[in-house]
Amino acid sequence: MKIILEKELFDIKTYITNGGYNAIKKALTMTPQSVIDEVKKSNLRGRGGAGFPTGLKWSFIPKDKSQKYVVCNSDESEPGTFKDREIIHKNPHSIIEGMIIAGYAIGATKGYIYIRGEFVREARIIEKTIYEAKESGYLGKNILNSGFDFDITVVRGAGAYICGEETALLESIEGKQGKPRIKPPFPATKGLFSSPTVINNVETLAAVPYIMIMGGEKYSRIGKEKSSGTKLFSVSGPVNKPGVYEIELGLSFKDFLENYLMGMKDGVKLKAVIVGGSSVPVITADEAMKVNLDYESLSQAGTMLGSGGMIIIGDDQCMVEALYILARFYHHESCGQCTPCREGTGWIYKLLSEILSGKCKEKDIDLLYEIAENMMGRTICPLADALSMPVMSFVKKFRNEFDKHIEGSCEICQR
Amino acid sequence: MPKINVDGKDLIANDGESILNVCERNGIYIPRYCYHPSLSVAGNCRMCLVEIEKMPKLQTACSTIASEGMVVKTDSEKVRKARKDVLEFLLINHPLDCSICDQVGECFLQDYYFTYGLRKSRFKLENKNQKQKRREVGEYLVLDNERCILCTRCVRFSNEVTKTDELFVNSRGDRAFIDISPEKGVTNKYSLNIADICPVGAFTSKDFRFKQRVYMLQTTKSICTLCATGCKINIWHNNNTIYRITPEPNIYTNTWMCDDGRMNYKIVNSSERLTHSMINGTEYNKRQTVKQVFNKLSKAMDDKLRIAVVLSNYLSIEDNISLIYLAKNVLKTPYIFSIESNQQKIEDGILINSDKSPNSNGIKLLVKKYGIKDISEYAEYDIVIGFYEDIKNLRISPVKTILFSYKKSSYPCLIALKTYFETDGSFINWQGYLRKTAKVVNSPENTFDLHHFVMEVSHLFAVYPDFNFKGIIKDLKYKEEGQ
Repeated sequence: MKIILEKELFDIKTYITNGGYNAIKKALTMTPQSVIDEVKKSNLRGRGGAGFPTGLKWSFIPKDKSQKYVVCNSDESEPGTFKDREIIHKNPHSIIEGMIIAGYAIGATKGYIYIRGEFVREARIIEKTIYEAKESGYLGKNILNSGFDFDITVVRGAGAYICGEETALLESIEGKQGKPRIKPPFPATKGLFSSPTVINNVETLAAVPYIMIMGGEKYSRIGKEKSSGTKLFSVSGPVNKPGVYEIELGLSFKDFLENYLMGMKDGVKLKAVIVGGSSVPVITADEAMKVNLDYESLSQAGTMLGSGGMIIIGDDQCMVEALYILARFYHHESCGQCTPCREGTGWIYKLLSEILSGKCKEKDIDLLYEIAENMMGRTICPLADALSMPVMSFVKKFRNEFDKHIEGSCEICQR
Repeated sequence: MPKINVDGKDLIANDGESILNVCERNGIYIPRYCYHPSLSVAGNCRMCLVEIEKMPKLQTACSTIASEGMVVKTDSEKVRKARKDVLEFLLINHPLDCSICDQVGECFLQDYYFTYGLRKSRFKLENKNQKQKRREVGEYLVLDNERCILCTRCVRFSNEVTKTDELFVNSRGDRAFIDISPEKGVTNKYSLNIADICPVGAFTSKDFRFKQRVYMLQTTKSICTLCATGCKINIWHNNNTIYRITPEPNIYTNTWMCDDGRMNYKIVNSSERLTHSMINGTEYNKRQTVKQVFNKLSKAMDDKLRIAVVLSNYLSIEDNISLIYLAKNVLKTPYIFSIESNQQKIEDGILINSDKSPNSNGIKLLVKKYGIKDISEYAEYDIVIGFYEDIKNLRISPVKTILFSYKKSSYPCLIALKTYFETDGSFINWQGYLRKTAKVVNSPENTFDLHHFVMEVSHLFAVYPDFNFKGIIKDLKYKEEGQ
């Protein structure tokens, strides 16, 4: 079952003829609290990676008359993740409508879309979408004569992965360096410009209008009990049909691989899967064949659903090299605030490049694992964890490939 | 007032107080780099991690607010391990050449290494990041980016205290480094505080660098006499030489101090220093000086010349009392004047006072007590006795003056004085607090304590003063700290 990507609803006319902007009409007849309750009932969980219940997040916003903000996190930059881009291309109005509903629910009159700097075309699409919505009276003052005002500003990033972390994103909108803030205070009490702020992922907000139309109850019956709804997976790797798929949560990986991705490419065997974007622990082919694609099943398997950026790794890929490429990314993207992350990402990267070129001894593999362990959970934001988890899982599950590099006998990358 | 338990001890926290502060008040030390009591919390060094029951991850003590029923462990195995790991991370890219670093002895990396480290380096030397080595930054600072641990204390100081925003973190990850806004440079008047708060050898003082190891120095508490603010200071000295001055943070007056105040000690050994009294171009020793001045004054008294004595806001209460004594009891002249000081206010919103004299408030009390007139009622006198810094601003013919001074000048009759690094004196600052300077070094042989000079001149006049400074000061209306 598809919801968000069911049809291509690129412009406002097709969006409206397919029932677009009915959700906001419905929401405006309800009280803000009952909109929040409806979202709570749907069991929608944040699609950005952490999976925090959306309705609960909205309910943390103080119910007073102070200035509040809705921020849409469109800084999609996790390696392997490209699902939000697809929504922007195919159904941009659902994001805008989701934001208006969120704004109405929490009492915000101002929204920001923080969009990744490299998303040039996508930023243009969003700008055009906002323009169309404004022209049709869905944005601006006194929306649909309800007395509710809401406006959206697009802010473009400058190319830092860390700005996808919600508080770094807020800093960036405020014009500062993108460095995560200490929590608490959480954005729900002190967010953008020190005001209560809700920050949601593109996919989360895009699902909101459908929840309003369908009703929370009905939405919650899609998928599994604690993992309700549909989820987008962006799949890359040696499969026959890579791309973005919207599936009901709870689908088995085996089914997904065979019937959606149409199996592995000829001559390549599945070796490992990174299910939810590069920051989550890797699982082996055997483990992957037993999991279902939902929050609980993946967590039981020792990994996470994350953002749904699925990286399929075939047996023609050296795991040490794959990890080296990841480490290079995190080393480049660490903001440099916290000691363990700033120094640890660099250390891991340097050590991995030595392991890769066979300049190390066996004890260096243990050292690699230990550095990752020492970084884990000791920083302000989860960027350090996002490198630790892959490192620890790669070393634990594919130790033999690291050993081969020490011996200089890796037959895959011929080093 | 939440109750918390730290390492088995029940403690009471103030509302909104961080765990680090609660511990600090109760004598439990938590190591830190980025935390500074007078700056905002950054929480980035991760050295102050503590274990809190019911929280899965270790928390930073500097940013975690104490709440009712928290059970905190500051020295568990887990905590010690975490600190050791953080220290290892800090040291991998830090140069390990302590023997040629000026921070030795007051370096937090060294200190904590002995507590938590003691692990052989597992990082390959050739992999160390290289950054810009020492360079001069502003008038007083030297910055070595390679020694920096990016705690951002300096950045927060320039943002929050001087509000000049000169420093920032450039780049990111392990390439990050402290940089200076090109159009600004470090030009604020408090720049040396940055060298003080830098926990490592990244920012050092150009003036103090490599002059002496800090553990060779003794410190003596004193006060700064460069303006009416009267900051409390520590004077660092060894072998009769002053090497540097740092603030003595206190809740009454100052946490920081200005660069000019720190450089004030230079007068002691400056080439401008008056080491002998100079009368009509001839240097005299102490005994000869007293004789010369006595001759001059007694001749003037015999000739019935009018002699005026001018009190000084720059001199201590003791010295001014002896000047009053000289006028009233020895020279028997009614012409005693005081000089009104500039309006007292903190002109830059931090510490520097628009009144540059350290004792205006002390003199005001003496003026009241002895009924002394203001200099504006000054007419022409034949001889004027006063302090060089005051008289040089008045239109008085130099030939008529007998002046006390630290500095050489072209005035014909100069009596060499000890500075307040060489003698004790009481001052009342702009807030009304009575504070004392301390003698930390010996003065040049032929310089005077002003009240000793008055004493010796009086003896030649056969007057034998018995100064009761303590008694007089006690009667003055001043504030004491704690009031």
